Amino acid sequence: MEIAFSRLDERVAKFTLSGVSTSFANMFRRAMVSEVPTLAIEEVRVYDNTSVLFDEMLTHRLGLIPLRTDLKRYKPRSECTCDGVGCPVCTATYTLSVEGPKTVYSDDLIPQDPDAAPAEEKIPIIDLERDQKVVLEAQAIVSTGSEHAKWQATTACGYKNYPEIAIDERCDGCGMCVDECPRNVLEAAQGKVQVIEGREEFCSLCRLCERACLAGGIGTEAAIHIGADTNRFIFVVEGDGSMPVRDIIERALQYIQKSSDDLVDVMNEITGEGTE
Amino acid sequence: MIPVRCFTCGKVISTAWKEFEERRDAGEDPKRILDDLGLERYCCRRMLLTHKVVVEDLNPYQ
Repeated sequence: MEIAFSRLDERVAKFTLSGVSTSFANMFRRAMVSEVPTLAIEEVRVYDNTSVLFDEMLTHRLGLIPLRTDLKRYKPRSECTCDGVGCPVCTATYTLSVEGPKTVYSDDLIPQDPDAAPAEEKIPIIDLERDQKVVLEAQAIVSTGSEHAKWQATTACGYKNYPEIAIDERCDGCGMCVDECPRNVLEAAQGKVQVIEGREEFCSLCRLCERACLAGGIGTEAAIHIGADTNRFIFVVEGDGSMPVRDIIERALQYIQKSSDDLVDVMNEITGEGTE
Repeated sequence: MIPVRCFTCGKVISTAWKEFEERRDAGEDPKRILDDLGLERYCCRRMLLTHKVVVEDLNPYQ
């Protein structure tokens, strides 16, 4: 297994994972999407709300605000010693007390723990007119994307097979496939079509070039062939800001390791054999 | 109110709304504004393009 990063920022990572099966790649994707825990607002006590939004709408909006998450600091409530009551180990508390006229932004939400502040400062929560008021207290807990999408650490997270573009000797360089390609992967040079260097990864496997080639009257088979490497994947992982993408990837891999270890233990228990 | 996140991918798009609204009302081409704001996917782009503000219409009925 090999991993090669072409981009690794705080919010976005792009990498090529090679030498693994499709099922492993998908397991990795699913682990990143639904098994990486983050903080999100779960309980809200509304003391006063005279805004145009109902309490439920307002709290739903609060729930969707990504919060910076330090997983060394917070535990899931099910693993906490407080037995689901809520204590500083498993709960982050926020207060919001605003009066119109103004637009309330996520930075008006005052966290008790400054390390668990909203990841974006300028998320509009509600527009308040004169004499409108919102006073509430919110509690955020740690959970995973499999429970609710608000706990999902990633936004866009997916993979595609690595494209393999083959152009055979029958190509006459007519350039019809070059014009057709929506991702600008091909170029015509010296009477032949070739892949622009570094653009291969951008191919979306749409096969419009194959069709254009056939339409050019080359015969029953196109001179350009688009294939996919089934053991090589291009991943794009985008975080929502609650934690760096690097941490999301590491957490997902730890989860995979832990669950496969658990599976081995269970299998051993069933068969009654020692670890091998 | 503009939804906090994109319905489809979950990216926080509400932070871009204010600038988008101002620039669109000034007559700029929405395509250029969206490109500037870094909204690449069409799911996020439609969130801003098709949004209608109704909070102000609701205010008189409080």
